Amino acid sequence: MNIWKLLLTGSVTTIIAFIVGMTYMGLNRKITARIQNRVGPPIYQNFLDVLKLWSKKTAVHHGFMQHVAPLWMIAMSITTLMFIPILNNGSKFFVNLTFDGDLILLLYLMAIGSLGMALGAGQTGNPNSAIGVTRGLTQMVGFEIPWVMALVAMMIQYKTTSIAGIMDIQHQTGTWMMFSSPFAFLAALLVLPGMFRYSPFDIVGAPAELASGPISEFGGKYLATMMTSGSIFAFVKLTLYVDLFMGGASNLGILLVKTFTLYMFPVLWGVTSPRFRTEQSVKFFWGWPLVFGLLGLIQAAF
Amino acid sequence: MNEQQLLNILIEHFGDKISGSVKRKKRVEIHTSTKVIEDFLQYIKNVLGYIHFVQLSCVDWIEENEFELVYIVWSPKDKITILTKVRVPRENAVAPNTDYIWRHINTFEREIREMFGIEFEGLVGAREFILEDWDDKPPMRRDFDTLEYSQATYFDRPGREDAQDVRETITKRSGEEIPEFAKKYSR
Amino acid sequence: MVNDKNSQKIVDIIQNYARKHSLFILAYGTGCGAIEVPPTMTSRYDAERFGIRGAATPRQADVLLITGYLATKTLKRVIRTYEQMQSPKYIIGFGSCTINGGMYWDSYNTIKRLDMYIPVDVYINGCMPRPESVIAGFIKLQKLIQAGKADGWDRYQKNLDFYRKNQKKIIKNWQMPDYNW
Repeated sequence: MNIWKLLLTGSVTTIIAFIVGMTYMGLNRKITARIQNRVGPPIYQNFLDVLKLWSKKTAVHHGFMQHVAPLWMIAMSITTLMFIPILNNGSKFFVNLTFDGDLILLLYLMAIGSLGMALGAGQTGNPNSAIGVTRGLTQMVGFEIPWVMALVAMMIQYKTTSIAGIMDIQHQTGTWMMFSSPFAFLAALLVLPGMFRYSPFDIVGAPAELASGPISEFGGKYLATMMTSGSIFAFVKLTLYVDLFMGGASNLGILLVKTFTLYMFPVLWGVTSPRFRTEQSVKFFWGWPLVFGLLGLIQAAF
Repeated sequence: MNEQQLLNILIEHFGDKISGSVKRKKRVEIHTSTKVIEDFLQYIKNVLGYIHFVQLSCVDWIEENEFELVYIVWSPKDKITILTKVRVPRENAVAPNTDYIWRHINTFEREIREMFGIEFEGLVGAREFILEDWDDKPPMRRDFDTLEYSQATYFDRPGREDAQDVRETITKRSGEEIPEFAKKYSR
Repeated sequence: MVNDKNSQKIVDIIQNYARKHSLFILAYGTGCGAIEVPPTMTSRYDAERFGIRGAATPRQADVLLITGYLATKTLKRVIRTYEQMQSPKYIIGFGSCTINGGMYWDSYNTIKRLDMYIPVDVYINGCMPRPESVIAGFIKLQKLIQAGKADGWDRYQKNLDFYRKNQKKIIKNWQMPDYNW
């Protein structure tokens, strides 16, 4: 395909993902503040944070790998973004690199971003970073299993491995996957706060735990890059869920409405819950989500 | 038992090695020497049931050239406080170590060693405790002039010389007098 | 590449607007005034509407709050923390102990004038200042940032000999890394 067209559509997708992701994180802070009976920061606060971090005059780093780690993370986020069809009306503008089989590719790509952060945090030699990284990877082991089960259940049931294929099936049969494979949806929904690293699974990056874990030695431009990549990745996850379970979206407005409704679930659960320890969160993930995943697999086989 | 009975039991047991009086309700004051203090503390802890050690503090009697260590012990059964006062000479101040009786006496003894300079024999942890890199004389002694040290080491902000002293203002307002020995701490 | 004067002015306006509306405070309670910081950040006297939030490590923080008296032991650690932060960075001194010694004016262990040892941008009066005063101090810091006058980090870099001489006068066991900006 035409490389210039690909670059154009890729950059537009990235910019939209950045703006939407940052606004959603700002809305998270605002909703959290209102629930706690106070006025929160304005919705565009995260843009100001990133702009301020880019305006720092010095950039302190401890080696080559720490310099490269945020770039790795943002590269992985943008790569994952390229493989997801944003709109399903066949628009030439937003279908970037989707192909048959991208669901299996996504399962692997989503884990590589954290690997970059782990390598960068390991280079700094800070013991807080090392412990935070082990906790984060342990939690990832926890939630990957129900997540993979849910996806595999859907792949077996509908005999397709591409996201566009699943969207087409929802389009044809007229019902969303939310209703036609409910156990897979429940398993994936319970895993969503774990992937976002919101409460109760935010032991990895919380400021009170281990001086914020893996990101404790990153400041200035590196932190700005990490926040940007986090916001793009949030948009990726939300769009993936909407495409798989809620029938995709045919224009940008409906996409925003659907992702915002889905985003309220981790936000509202996160505001009102305390933090789990690492072993408690792994025990949670290998409890009910695993049961729902197994039920989904059984339903898919028959 | 009440305070007078307690005092009688102690004088009967120790004879003339201690001397004491009932200061007021629920408080008994005993004066001993450094040779007796360890037996005394063990006796009141094990036999009489005075099991709660409150504090070990130190008073600098510079006019009489002595330090005075005050051991404060309390009993939850009788609810009486015993103050035990021990005098230690000011030059070569040495006192016995009593932290095998109650373990938290260790912290008090380390602090008194750093702030007053009294050596306790066999103290575990006799090293720099709260002050870092302190090379002057122990700062809580009364012949250490802290105001002079503070003005020599740290910078004053100009414009505070006409500030009024709190004590002088209050005594003038209520028509009293500052006693003689405290006058040298005024500004 | 150095900008010319007019475009530098525009860049400064945008950067100072972003800097003043998102201040990250280092979560380090230096003295007894740190008890006034949690009421300022929670629901009643909400400081997050100005964009102020807490940061966990000096590498991520902008503002260092010196809340109260500084013993010489703490001063050594504060200097080390301050030199780890990334510029531009600001220091706010709380309470009267940082201004002229306060309640500990004749103590053998606490310093009396904070800006002889590290550069201070804003002082807040009180013992301890109430949350309303703390927020007023932050507004003053925001005004200084917008005018481009909050340059404590620049003064520290230029007058490093002066600050080092004063610091070494009271910290006798000097084993600290070099300032690596």
